Amino acid sequence: MASVHESLYFNPMMTNGVVHANVFGIKDWVTPYKISVLALLYEMTTSKPIALQERRRLNKLILPLQQGPDLTLGQFLKTVGECCPQTAYAVKLRLHEMADGELKDMEYFFATLPTPFRAIDSEAYKTSVVGLFMRHMLLAYNKLSFSQVYKLYKALQQYYHSQFAQPGVSPVGIPGLAADNTDMDLTSTEDTMGERMEKDELDTTPLHESDLSRGPLSQKQAEYFLARQAYLLKNDENKALKPAALQDELNNMLKFNPDFAEAHYLSYLNSMRVQDIFISTHSLLHYFDRLILSGSEGKSNGDEGYGRSLRYAALNLAALHCRFGHYQQADLALQEAIRIAQESNDHVCLQHCLSWLYTLEQMKGSDSSVLTEDSVKMAAHFCLPYLASLGIQSLVQQGAVQGKTAHELMDAMKETDILHWKHSLSELIDISLAQTTSIWRMYGKSTMAQQQAQLLLNMSSLEQVNFGVHQNNTEAFAVILCHLAELHAEQGLYGAVSEILKHLKDQFPPHTQHAKLWMLCDLKIQFDRAMNDGKYHLAEPHVTAIAALNKTEGLYRKALVLKALNRTTEAYSILQRLQLYCEKTKYTEMIIRVMLATAELHWESSGFATALPLLLQALSLARQHHLQALASETILHLAFTQLMLGVPDQALGVLHEAMEPVLAHGAVMDKGRALLLAARCQVTIAGAQVKTNPHEKSAQTLGEAAAYFSMLDCKERLRDVHYLQARLHHTLGQTAERNKCAMLFRLLDQELPAPGAAVAMRL
Amino acid sequence: MAALCSEFGDLVQIKKQLISVISLCKERGLVHSVKWASELAFALDPLPKNELPPPAIFTEEDCQDLDAFGLAKSYFDLKEYDRAAYFLRGCRSQKAYFLYMYSRYLSGEKKKDDETVDSLGPLEKGQVRNEALRELRVELSKKHSAGELDGFALYLYGVVLRKLDLLKEAVDVFVEATHALPLHWGAWLELCNLITNIEMLKALSLPDCWIKDFFMAHMYTELQMIKEALQKYQSLIEAGFSKSTYIISQIAVAYHNIRDIDQALALFNELREQDPFRIENMDTFSNLLYVRSMKPELSYLAHNLVEIDKYRVETCCVIGNYYSLRSQHEKAALYFQRALKLNPRCLGAWTLMGHEYMEMKNTSAAIQAYRHAIEVNKRDYRAWYGLGQTYEILKMPFYCLYYYRKAHQLRPNDSRMLVALGESYEKLSQQVEAKKCYWRAYSVGDVERMALLKLAKLHEQLNESDDAAQCYIIYIQDIFSCGEQLEHAEVSTALRYLGQYYFKNKHYDEASLCAQRCCDYNDAREEGKALLRQISQVRDQTETSSTDLFGPLSSNNTPVRRVSPLDLSSFTP
Repeated sequence: MASVHESLYFNPMMTNGVVHANVFGIKDWVTPYKISVLALLYEMTTSKPIALQERRRLNKLILPLQQGPDLTLGQFLKTVGECCPQTAYAVKLRLHEMADGELKDMEYFFATLPTPFRAIDSEAYKTSVVGLFMRHMLLAYNKLSFSQVYKLYKALQQYYHSQFAQPGVSPVGIPGLAADNTDMDLTSTEDTMGERMEKDELDTTPLHESDLSRGPLSQKQAEYFLARQAYLLKNDENKALKPAALQDELNNMLKFNPDFAEAHYLSYLNSMRVQDIFISTHSLLHYFDRLILSGSEGKSNGDEGYGRSLRYAALNLAALHCRFGHYQQADLALQEAIRIAQESNDHVCLQHCLSWLYTLEQMKGSDSSVLTEDSVKMAAHFCLPYLASLGIQSLVQQGAVQGKTAHELMDAMKETDILHWKHSLSELIDISLAQTTSIWRMYGKSTMAQQQAQLLLNMSSLEQVNFGVHQNNTEAFAVILCHLAELHAEQGLYGAVSEILKHLKDQFPPHTQHAKLWMLCDLKIQFDRAMNDGKYHLAEPHVTAIAALNKTEGLYRKALVLKALNRTTEAYSILQRLQLYCEKTKYTEMIIRVMLATAELHWESSGFATALPLLLQALSLARQHHLQALASETILHLAFTQLMLGVPDQALGVLHEAMEPVLAHGAVMDKGRALLLAARCQVTIAGAQVKTNPHEKSAQTLGEAAAYFSMLDCKERLRDVHYLQARLHHTLGQTAERNKCAMLFRLLDQELPAPGAAVAMRL
Repeated sequence: MAALCSEFGDLVQIKKQLISVISLCKERGLVHSVKWASELAFALDPLPKNELPPPAIFTEEDCQDLDAFGLAKSYFDLKEYDRAAYFLRGCRSQKAYFLYMYSRYLSGEKKKDDETVDSLGPLEKGQVRNEALRELRVELSKKHSAGELDGFALYLYGVVLRKLDLLKEAVDVFVEATHALPLHWGAWLELCNLITNIEMLKALSLPDCWIKDFFMAHMYTELQMIKEALQKYQSLIEAGFSKSTYIISQIAVAYHNIRDIDQALALFNELREQDPFRIENMDTFSNLLYVRSMKPELSYLAHNLVEIDKYRVETCCVIGNYYSLRSQHEKAALYFQRALKLNPRCLGAWTLMGHEYMEMKNTSAAIQAYRHAIEVNKRDYRAWYGLGQTYEILKMPFYCLYYYRKAHQLRPNDSRMLVALGESYEKLSQQVEAKKCYWRAYSVGDVERMALLKLAKLHEQLNESDDAAQCYIIYIQDIFSCGEQLEHAEVSTALRYLGQYYFKNKHYDEASLCAQRCCDYNDAREEGKALLRQISQVRDQTETSSTDLFGPLSSNNTPVRRVSPLDLSSFTP
């Protein structure tokens, strides 16, 4: 390390103690590889007509070749040869002329290059991509001193001979690379070419990534590399380099040019990927130390000078601590950022600070709606649409949890949506859709949720598609996909669920930021499945895993397992604790669920009367917060209690209220349970009467319920249904049906280990 | 110690060895080793004529190569390395072989330096490397495995490996070189640069020779184990090297590192008397003069050095310090820049330049300079500390915590970093951490004697009066026991607080003592008098009310106090 740096300590371009990042004001310089590219361009502009298709392929190649890192001659010729073997041969010939000739051949080559200033009608005109590149190269070449030219020539010879010392490595072209290019239009002017190029970047990526660690990159190449990797990190992490490889590359870049501050920033992002607080802090601070230098020219502590980067440095540090969950540190850093921003009257920065402040408060679990409202107002005042609607979204989220009316929330969402589309804030559009999905799900409208989720997944993003990558690794996508998985699981479509989860796993590998979302979702689904199947021993290990990801959820599930295992006392104490905790944090959904579980515990000790007030309380809570799914669930519980208390008429009446929403939106399990309960009520009402009508009706209901249960393969409940069916048929005197049902019951009964809870005793 | 004495017992033998190694090194153009050995030899008593070592034995091969070697050596001395190598290529003697390889190596280095000036682009500059290194390595490693390398060639092999960043191999080869030729100081010095920690040092098996003690002492200085280093040097002096300027300068540098300024200054003055035209280490000397604000001495030194050689890094640093002391910071920065131009590897200059920019309130340039210093040497704690200070000036106490922490990591026992950390924590209202820092700063030996005072004030703010009083007491004891006349304002604050504290806790004797002491200081005089009046008032009251009952009792049985009594009678301020 030290020996590499020896020559770098001193910088001749130092003025006023500040070294400018770019010492000579040249962003690019001539290398043997660049000469090969020039030779290629020369061949393309001057030579005989090339077949249209080949020409098109070559055109598509130009930009990656110009921007990418230097390739060996073999790779270069191979790439060109794949597009057009004839040109590749010509390029090779020209290089051979130079390398095996004398210095004057190279000088002659540069002299004969079409000067972009003269060639007005050719592709190499000065404003075109090619022309610009040629101008850069010519300028750089003309600046070289005598010894440098000689060195360049030596390097060229070495470059050529390192490839063609061993014979047999001639460019073998594969004509007709792929037919998928034919749909492109034929008028390929230089300007549109650039964009198309980017789309096809993906195909050429191996070309760049295979040999990144060779040699230093020029400033241009380095900028391109950084931009590309940063974009990939933001939008599709899996396509970016692996963390270790990227870090190597960055270290290499910094070794040759320690002043290249952006590389430090990328290093910060990269180490965030692997949760390395040490390097990320180091790189972040280093980046801002460097940034302060470059932004300081002639400006003092004002708006544009380095004072600005100081503020953002502190803010970024706060964000970093936030990401790592160091709330106290984050708080201190944030206070600092706010203080300096206030001192210099930087309202924009203050707004950013404020939005971080409420985020921090939220993360800490305290109520921050007042702060958020302030933030929204101020952001709107200072015309910062992004921050404003981010604030509104945060408010909506809080409002939804606190039970604001649905129309208020939806109105707010609609208004921010208008704002998003107006300013094309595609990121926020995604978030907004994900949020709507979540809200619908919370309200228990699965169809609406599904529709919103599909909307996001099928929407083409507003953002430019760069490097062939759509933005699809944001939190919004993860949330949506998790919802979809859960929705499918509710409908018993486990094949689809596993496919979605697999996709999630690919898209968000376990070490990434949003991986916890799908992990939790996956565990929940597995847990529910195990519980439905009555395999409590399978459910138990999941509880620990869930608790690791989400404490509250883990505790709740633990209570459920304990209840199922008849360890009532423990379950009860956990539920009590949980309820207290949730009431403190205002987690309404969980409160209701805990109440329902407690009610079920009361049933087991036949305390149906004690369960009633609890259930009524739960019902009012659910209605107050518009949680339809939970409300119907509560009604089911209520109806069951009433049935047990011997008022089946009342029970059936209550049940009818919930039946419609359950059948429309509920999970398959709920549908089955509702129908089963309805049938039982009907049977009880019909009671001793030997009328056929009600009995037949209930038999039909039971059949439907059985269908739902068999969909989920929920054997215990299926057994109950068969038992009831058999009894019913017996009452109706239908012996054949009765025997069939009895046999089905017998089969299931033998298959299941122990007789579960008594048929009558559960919902 | 005994072993050391017996080893050094025969100074004559050592002198003989030195003289022979000087001639060996001289023949091979290893000028720095020659210089070191000669300095040491000069410090020893001259030998009588019959004791002089015989000239090295001439082998057959040496005879054959004599003419070619003589020619090549003259070219070598004129820095025509390629030419020297050309005439040596056929020679077979060890001496000629070394010079042959060495000239090839130096030729590569020279070309590398020339090349950096006109490389093709800025980024390629880092790529410029000594092209000869690879070839040299291949040839040398062949000979090495055949066991044909002598001590000098091994040294060269090690250097080549180090330049190729093959540090582990280089260490092994250097160790081998010291075994083959223990007297060659260059090999030891190279080894010194490669050892990064004490464990690594202990793991090496080094030849048992008197020169090893020099090496160990040097190593301890490098590893900041100053106490051990001083011990070593002391024993070397006792063994008979008392006149060596090398040892004196090393001890002076060591004292500088532990901030024992008086000792260091005395040694440097002695050094300048003995060796008035010496330029090495004078930058350190000027640092000391700077710290003590000894303007005339620094000015004299600067002028003297300019007369000797104005284009030396040390001279530039001295002049930079001189201007800095005269508050001409632009000029100071200019001279530090010049020092860097002369030798980009000069670590201190970047940091010093950073300090200058700080003085000029050019924070961004200061940050830049400090960052450069860190890039050169990640373990430069002064640069980290400087960065922290810069951000502290920019009023970003949380931000600067990171830098201070870094500095503290590098110098865990330096109170300045700890005090800085404590101040930052205090600004962030993290009193618990701040208290810890101050207490630790005091425990490791507070240089500026501020930690306790700050700690006491912190306790005072937090209404922990017992702790505060305790701290003030230790502070006062500390100040008086060190005997120096520091600023009195702070002592008076302490006394004032203590007076009030004792008064509140009804220890009137101590309170009145403190109040009396207060009267010695201008700013606390009035309060002291007021307190005395109060005390006498209270005493009168208690005496009138309870003389008969509690009078005898209270004079004998003073209640047990948490705070030890303040015994100020033993010292007079």
